[in-house]
Amino acid sequence: MSSETVRGRLTDGELSPQRVAGLVAAVLLAGLVLWGFAFPETQAGRFVAILTDRSTLAATLRLSVPIAFAALGGIFAEKSGVINIGLEGLLIVSAFGGVYMADVTGSVWMGLAAGIVASTLLALLFAVVCIEFRADQIIAGLAIWLIALGLAPFASQVVYGGPNTASVDTVDAIVIPGLSSIPFFGALFSATPFVYLMFGAVAASWWTLNRTSFGRWVNASGENPKALDTAGVNVTRVRYAAVLLSGVLCGFGGAALSLSIGQFVGSGSTMVNGKGFIAIVTYLFGNYNPVGALLSTMLFAGLDALQLTLQARDVFAVPQPLVRTIPYVTVIIVLALFGRTRIPKAAGEHYESGDE
Amino acid sequence: MSSDDTPNTETDAADSDGREPGTNTGQSDAPAAIERLVRASAVERALISVSALLLSVAVGFVLILAAGRMTTCSTAATTYFGVGFCYDPVTVYDLLFLGAFGDLSSDLINGQLATTLSQTTVLMFTGVAVAVAFRAGIFNIGTQGQLVVGALGSAVATLWASTLVSGVVGTLLLLPFGLAVGAFVGGVYGAIPGALKAYADANEVITTIMLNFVATAVALYLVQDHFQDPESVATQTVPLPEYATFPSVIFRARDDFSLVAFVVAAALLVAVYLLIERTSFGYDLRTSGIQPEAAEYGGVDAARTVVASMTLSGALAGMGGAVYVLMIIGNFQTGVPAYGFDGITVSILAGNNPLGVGFAALLFGVLKSGSIVVDVGTDVPPQLVGVLRGLIILFVAMPEFFRMIGTRVWSVRPSGSGGQPVTDGGTVADSRGDVEDDVDAESGVPTEGGERDE
Repeated sequence: MSSETVRGRLTDGELSPQRVAGLVAAVLLAGLVLWGFAFPETQAGRFVAILTDRSTLAATLRLSVPIAFAALGGIFAEKSGVINIGLEGLLIVSAFGGVYMADVTGSVWMGLAAGIVASTLLALLFAVVCIEFRADQIIAGLAIWLIALGLAPFASQVVYGGPNTASVDTVDAIVIPGLSSIPFFGALFSATPFVYLMFGAVAASWWTLNRTSFGRWVNASGENPKALDTAGVNVTRVRYAAVLLSGVLCGFGGAALSLSIGQFVGSGSTMVNGKGFIAIVTYLFGNYNPVGALLSTMLFAGLDALQLTLQARDVFAVPQPLVRTIPYVTVIIVLALFGRTRIPKAAGEHYESGDE
Repeated sequence: MSSDDTPNTETDAADSDGREPGTNTGQSDAPAAIERLVRASAVERALISVSALLLSVAVGFVLILAAGRMTTCSTAATTYFGVGFCYDPVTVYDLLFLGAFGDLSSDLINGQLATTLSQTTVLMFTGVAVAVAFRAGIFNIGTQGQLVVGALGSAVATLWASTLVSGVVGTLLLLPFGLAVGAFVGGVYGAIPGALKAYADANEVITTIMLNFVATAVALYLVQDHFQDPESVATQTVPLPEYATFPSVIFRARDDFSLVAFVVAAALLVAVYLLIERTSFGYDLRTSGIQPEAAEYGGVDAARTVVASMTLSGALAGMGGAVYVLMIIGNFQTGVPAYGFDGITVSILAGNNPLGVGFAALLFGVLKSGSIVVDVGTDVPPQLVGVLRGLIILFVAMPEFFRMIGTRVWSVRPSGSGGQPVTDGGTVADSRGDVEDDVDAESGVPTEGGERDE
């Protein structure tokens, strides 16, 4: 299915304006990097130094975790035919739930479990509303986001007397001796357990989607629910399972986000700050493939890491608030260039079994 | 727009009897969904909105009680079933809904009422902004960003222009100018996601949300680096002179409410209603929302309609920002309240009808103003209103739930056996009832639906 689409894309719109624009951007970036390598003393040189810095990769991995988990969750839900735009909300409740339980029990792992439970419960509400009561998925997803946006700071205010929670212990990085001292790539072997969990989840998701019958059902439920129904599989149940799975995955992501910092920040748009929406773009960009989603997540997280370092080291004299918009602007540009992703045929539609 | 691989085989009419063919494909889900909302009759929609509101209040009731158990207090505020709770939901709702009107018996134009009405005024703009886009089949979640840039543009431009004129003439010239600038800036900012949707097929839900983040950051930068008030430590622009802001008629000047702005907003709602219902542009807009393919078949330039609707939507939101500046705060400050997001709720609650927006905006004005009273009068966190906002959207989005309950109540009532359905119906309307049942009913009803399959 997906390979067909990719082939179609490559042969169809080879020289569309979008493609040309993407190409130009790539060439410009490559030029900048080459220039930087050639002249290390220039601005470009310092830029490349940051780009190839080990800490940049470490930050990229850290920032990838919540986005990648949410993207995996989004893939399952949307492939099954339920567009889950409430990923952001699931991340928010699990980020709070994780810190709260870690604070109460003193265990990071209990916190992680609580984050997953919180997110899954909210996902269950979303599933019931969308599948059982045929709510419009986009509006219901927005509602899930807004509920979480109110609920987490509300709970934090009740428990901690402010939108931000108390601080809890964080987990130590797992360092693999030897491998961790490789320049640049060493960051891959000296990361928090959450980073390893992320890689594991991507692999497991890919395997589930491509090698198991559940994966085939999820696919069929989004592409041709009628056929799945005819084959004797309960479409409703598959969709419930997929949406709940998106809750579980987002739970990992949100809890990992807050527990790796050791605090939930609930002021403004909370510490999640659009990561759930960026996740949606990454899986669209990754064409619903978990591995593709991970790669595009790392692209976005890398940009974020880059802007953090650029801010810290003051390389380009660009004001901080503007630098902070880089990930968001990138999302818009990517959507504009590659927005014509082929979404599952029955996504967004309610399916009513015929044998009622 | 219609770049999808299948030709238009939309069979929207089929879903009214609950049997959409699974092969129903083609276009994005938004128009079909909105159509489903639009098709419900006005009465039914009003009933659904009221039920959703009551259900949210009921869930909020449980939430307040639960929160009251999580926090600690020396004396219980209320006691139910022998268990003490730190927060009393009845007090909270009393302050929330009635507190918003202040003490009308002693002072008809009291400050709290003024706050309620000034919040209502801004929400009328953002609500109708969202409604215009939704009617055109576009999910404009970017009202907040459009409001922010409109507010900043209006504050800066009016400040500059206020040096040229003064006095009553100044007010007469500056207010329309400030509104126009807000509308222009907001409109341009709204046109961006419109154009991206129309010509690059970029999903407007995502782009508008991203543009919200961008607007906040860019506004912060512009104020910090270019328009900062040197006299102030806060990130804000130089305050506008008195004659450049909305005059307070009848109400007190310190209450930041102007009947003039209120009347302008109300007139605008009527104007937008007429535009949508009575003009050919409105016809194009509505048909694009309901049946994009049919609209295009009938000669509507779909791409241009999308851009035009988004521009109009952004302009209305931008005017809301201008009113916020010219009536409420008198300059631009970072940390603009979430009028844009509330506008989404207002519009959805009003069934995307510009006239209904007036009532829904008043309701939300009450909620926003009342949350201040709650904040002052109790320890209950003001974020409660944020939760209610989300719940209301969620419940309005599931008309099927209320229809299911409605049908059961109706179908059972003649036969007289009212055991099960009445408890179901009771969960919606009865906010004081056995609160635990509310939660159970939500998961209980679905299993019953499932059993029907056999």
